[in-house]
Formats: sequence, structure tokens, C-alpha cells
Amino acid sequence: MSYSFDFTGLEQGYDSLLEGLKVTVELTLAANLIGVTLGFVVALLVMSRISLIRTPVMLFIEFFRCTPAIIQIVWFFYCVPIMFDVYLDSVTMGVLALGLNLTAFNAEAYRAAIQSVPKEQHDAGIALGLSPFQRVIYIVLPHALRSALPVLITNGIGIFQQTALVAIVAIQDLMYQGKSLATTTYRPIETFTLIAVIYFAVSFPVAQLVQLIERRREVASR
Amino acid sequence: MTYDFAVVLGYWEALLQGLEVTVELTLLCAALGSALGFVTSLARVSPVRFLRWISTLYVEFFRGTPVLIQLFWFFFCLPIILGSDISNFIAATVTLTLYTGAITSETFRASLKSIRPEEIDACIALGLPRLTQITNIVLPQALLRAIPTLLSNFVSLFKESALVSAVGMADLMFVGQNISSNIAKPVEVLTVVAVIYFVVAFPLTRAVTVIERKMLAKLAI
Amino acid sequence: MNKSMSNLSSAKSFSATDSTNKSPTASTSGQALVKVSNLHKSYSPTIQVLKGLDLTMAAGERLVVIGPSGGGKSTLLRVMMGLEQIDSGSITFAGQPYITANDGKAKTKINLAVRQQIGMVFQHYTLFPHLTILQNLTLAPRKVRGESKASAEARGMALLTRFGLAAKAGAYPNQLSGGQKQRVAIARALMLDPKLMLFDEVTSALDPELVAEVEQVIMSLAEQGMPMMIVTHDMWFAKNIASRVVFCAGGVVVEEGPPDQIFNAPKHERTREFLDRVFHI
Ligand SMILES: Nc1ncnc2c1ncn2[C@@H]1O[C@H](COP(=O)(O)OP(=O)(O)OP(=O)(O)O)[C@@H](O)[C@H]1O
Ligand SMILES: [Mg+2]
Repeated sequence: MSYSFDFTGLEQGYDSLLEGLKVTVELTLAANLIGVTLGFVVALLVMSRISLIRTPVMLFIEFFRCTPAIIQIVWFFYCVPIMFDVYLDSVTMGVLALGLNLTAFNAEAYRAAIQSVPKEQHDAGIALGLSPFQRVIYIVLPHALRSALPVLITNGIGIFQQTALVAIVAIQDLMYQGKSLATTTYRPIETFTLIAVIYFAVSFPVAQLVQLIERRREVASR
Repeated sequence: MTYDFAVVLGYWEALLQGLEVTVELTLLCAALGSALGFVTSLARVSPVRFLRWISTLYVEFFRGTPVLIQLFWFFFCLPIILGSDISNFIAATVTLTLYTGAITSETFRASLKSIRPEEIDACIALGLPRLTQITNIVLPQALLRAIPTLLSNFVSLFKESALVSAVGMADLMFVGQNISSNIAKPVEVLTVVAVIYFVVAFPLTRAVTVIERKMLAKLAI
Repeated sequence: MNKSMSNLSSAKSFSATDSTNKSPTASTSGQALVKVSNLHKSYSPTIQVLKGLDLTMAAGERLVVIGPSGGGKSTLLRVMMGLEQIDSGSITFAGQPYITANDGKAKTKINLAVRQQIGMVFQHYTLFPHLTILQNLTLAPRKVRGESKASAEARGMALLTRFGLAAKAGAYPNQLSGGQKQRVAIARALMLDPKLMLFDEVTSALDPELVAEVEQVIMSLAEQGMPMMIVTHDMWFAKNIASRVVFCAGGVVVEEGPPDQIFNAPKHERTREFLDRVFHI
């Protein structure tokens, strides 16, 4: 291998990369905001006793979980404007696609967590005279949030990585900026390596955090 | 606005060919990737520090970066490093194999860990040689327990494989996007493509649940 | 049950299973079968478990080890099975050095040929869940001794028949009750014709109604003269099966003697306290 690395050419692109990272982080945060909140609501709906509610919601979840994220994003970009005659800016569109994708995955995490709330706690809630709504807010939600937390963070960091897909529909995120920089500098190895390292530098600490939480729980539950 | 889904029917052969590429690529990378994943999971518990270190780095890096960038990296950089052109098929296979190796190694690691220490005590009490412990007790159980998670790893791989369209490989996603822009009917074509992915992936995810339940029942003690 | 046990205490002969017993060393009468000398064992500098334990067991004896939780009973049995490293001390088996501490850092020396003559059944289920009952039985004979499949299966079926489990030969462990699982675990250990059996609280994970079937199997082994060392919290069982009782606490043997003496007239205050607690709660 006679290739010699040269990162100096990339300096001109640092600003654009930083801009890109900002977009990536914004997309991630916005998608997570949707995913964490809407995911819980969807989880409650999919556990509904009324099949008219349950079935479509289930279909929504399964559809997002069982198709590639990239087609979801492309679909949003090309189809939503045609079907609903609305023209949103591309970042909003990206946030929606990623947010709904995350909602589906988080709903599953919440559902598993809600189902793990011990029956005794429900009984205790009833015995204390709490209304169904109060039981959800004061008993189910805190427990579900707590036990779903590691999966929610893992899914959230997964979405951070999936944001790279929006580069394909020309949103100027980190991936997009990186790709243009690679083309203008003719330095693809350095550029793509640098971008990969940036993504990694954000994901890895969060993944470690999840492990830490899980290990603590393991110790605590012993 | 009315939609004309019938027009998509005219392209079923092209779509089928795309699906074939997707499925073949998935199967190839599933096979190569899980072999790699298995070896990696052993390396991660190896007594040799260097092996542990390098395998951990590999897994964490591939799990911690977008598959798209991995794909671009191999597609654009491998030719420079090798000094010769590589096809997008090679780049795709290498990327998805490494990706699958990283995620399945975690699956195998968990399944290796799930073997109860009491069983190893029993092996020693029965005087089983170390090699027999591994080939007859540890490996068969680890592989069996890994099956459901492996299957869902393969579903992830199947979905991630849609990215290879970004480097011009004619998979289902690529074919779908082409048709969609050629006939300017994105709603119909893209929806059909999504449904095709769904029709393959969804039954597999159900199978995971069923197999998991059976496996739990079988290997319960 | 009591009647059958009364003639047990005089049982001296010993033949492990139906199969022949070739080792002359193990059955030499009069000589100690097991001699544990000044055994020290710690799991970490702060967790000292065995603190100079001495114990002698004659051939044909059935030693029952009782004592408070955390007193080191399981540790003693695990050391005897060669599952744990020791700090100092030694164990001989039928006059042969078996386990010796290597002073300094080197690992405990374990004579593997001797270890093969000892069988153990654990408190937790240890059957291999992916193997059928018969496969669980035949694995070790085939892999350790190179016995043929046909011969191992024939012996396995004979043992299962004796334990009333022949119908379960092709079943998997999860299809068995806890009591059945422990009986299979005993059969599995017997497949290697052990000269000594170790039982560590083999009934304590069982539902109460399943305890008797397992204890009966152990009793029937005792009737055949199998030397055994039993850790149990079931004092009724201890009384009935023991030829000698060892009270173990704080990592040493506090008191030992025939069951009558230990249960009815213990000499040590600690023994009395312990028995008071287990019998009067
Ligand atoms: N693997 C281990 N690591 C650290 N400490 C251990 C380990 N195994 C046992 N111990 C500790 O050693 C001590 C003796 O344990 P042991 O299991 O031998 O007691 P025991 O007499 O069998 O008790 P029990 O009647 O509860 O079974 C206990 O304090 C226990 O916590
Ligand atoms: Mg114990």
C-alpha cells in the first residue's frame, strides 16, 4: 500500500462539515423528540382493546419496522407532496420520516416495558382509587420509561446513524457535506474516514452509556 | 388525485430482478457475515489481549457508524488502496459482510454468555475434556440460542441492503427508483417497492417470535 | 424406610454400580477413603471460607455434612470435586495424593485420574438442556472413556430402568419434573462408576412433594454400599442416611460423630444452637 494520507486538503471543508454535523444533530434531536413522545402514545394505542384502533396502529408499526429506512425517506420526499399537496422544506420532511420511523421502533420498546409493569402495581393503583388516566401517568409511564430507557437510547443513537440517509435526498447533513468535500478535494479516503470517525465519536459514548445503565441494573436486580 | 397502480404491473419483471439481486446479496452477506461474526465473538473472549482489542474495535466501529458511510468508504476508497477498480458488487458485499459480522458477533457473544456456569461445573465433574466441553456443550447451545436473534439480524441486513442502490447496484430499491422517475409515478412505484420489502421482512420477524418461543421452551431447564 | 436404614449402618461392602469395580486402591478396607488435611480456601483475600479443615472418611462411610449457611459446606464439596483452587492443605483419596496446593502462585494440583473416580450431583439442575436424557447419560462415558455408543446406551438404559425413568430416555430435560431431573443427574454421575458420590443439597431446589423420590434413590445407593458425602438441610434425611455426621461451621469441622450422638447429645454449644434452630422453628 503506497497511499500516503494527507488531511491538509480537508481544512477548507471544516466549516462545511461543522455545518453538516449541526444539521445531523438537529435532525437527530427532532426525530427523537417525536419518537420518544409519539412512541409512547402509539404503544398505548397498539395495546388498545378496540381492534379498530389496534389494527391500523399495528400496521403502521410493522410497516416502518419491516421496510428499509431509505425507502421511507425517499417515499416521503416524492409522495407526500403529491398525495397531500403540501410542500414542506426538505429538513422538515427528513425529520418527519425519521421521526415516524423512530416512533415505530420506540413504540415496541414501550410496549415491552409497559407489559413488564407488574400486575400488583396496577392493582395497587386501583386500590388507591386512581383513575385509569392517573394510573397511566403515575404508575405505568414512570415504570415504562425507566425500563425502556436503554432501548430508547439505543434506538435514538440508531436514528443518529440513519440520518445519514437524508444525504440521498440532498439534505445538507454531515454525510452530504462529506461527500461533496470528498469530490472537491479528491481525497475520499481522508474525508470518509474523518466523517466515519465523527459519527463514531458521537455514537460510541452514548452506546457505552447504555451499557453502563444496563450493567447497573443487572447488579441492582441481583 | 387518482392513482394507477396497474401501471406498475407492467414492470414486474424488472422489479423481480431487483428483488433477486437484493435477496442474493442478503443471503451471501448473511452467510459470510455470520461466519465472521462467530469468529469475532470468540476473538472477543480470547485470552490474547490483542485479539480482544482488535475485535472490539472492529465491532464498535461498524456498529457506531452509518452503513452508508461504510459503503461509500469501500466504494470510493478501496479502489485507491488496491490500485485497481472494484465493482459495486464487491464494495457492497464487503460492506454488508462486515456490517453483519459486527452485529452477529454481539448475538453470538450473548448466546455464549447465556450458557449457565453450573453446566460447566457439571462438565468438569464428569471429567469431560475441554474440547468436548466446547464442541458438545457450549457450541451447540450457543448456536441454537443464537438462531432467533440471528434471524432478526438478517432482516436488518435485508433492509440495510437497500443502501447499495446509492452506489448504483441494481437491487430492488435501485430498480424501483429508476422506474419511478422514468414514468413519473413515484406514489405507485415506491409504494409497491415498499410493500415488496414488507412482504419479505414481515413474515421473517413473525418467525423470529415463534422460533424464540420454541427455543426458550426447548432450552429451558 | 427406617427399617431398611437400620441394616445400612452395618453395610461395609461396596460396589458402585452393577458394573465391575476394578480399582483395588479405592476399596482397601480399613484405610481412609478420603483424608482432608488442613484445608484452606478463600475466594478473595476478604472471603476466607475454609480455615484449616480436617476430615477423614473411611471406605463405605456415608458422611452427612450439616451446618449453618455460608459455613463452607458447598465449598468443601466443590474443592473435593476439583472445581475450585485451594490456598493450602491437601486431600488424599484412597491413599493417593489427590488435591495439593502449590504454594505460591501456581495452580492447585489435581490428580485427574482420581477425580474421575468421584461423581457429584449439584443443587441446581445441571442436565444439558440440548441433549436427551439418554444422551446426557452417555456423553461422558463415550468421550471420557471411549466407550462404544451401544455399550453406553445399554448401561444408560439399564440405569434409567432401575430409576423408573426408562420411558424418558428420549425426552429432553425440560420435559421432566425437578425430581426426575435430579434422578437423571444422579444416574449421569453413576455412569462413570464413581468410587465416591458427592451430593450438595440435591433436593433443596425441589418442590416438597418431589423430595422423597430423590432421597429414595440416594438411599438405595447407600444400601448398595456406595460411599457418599452429603450436604443437606433435611435433618430427617440426614439422620436416616448418615453413618457419621459432620457439623461444619466457620470453615472448620466443629464436631463429628454418629448421627445419634450429634442429633441427641451434641457436645459443642454451636452444634446445639444450630440444631435447636433447625428443629424448633
Ligand atoms: N464463587 C464465590 N465467590 C465469592 N464468594 C463465594 C463464592 N462461593 C461461595 N462464596 C462465599 O463463601 C462462603 C461459603 O459458601 P458455601 O456455599 O460454601 O456455604 P454453604 O455452607 O454451602 O452454605 P449454604 O448452606 O447456604 O449452601 C459464603 O460466605 C459465600 O458467600
Ligand atoms: Mg451450599
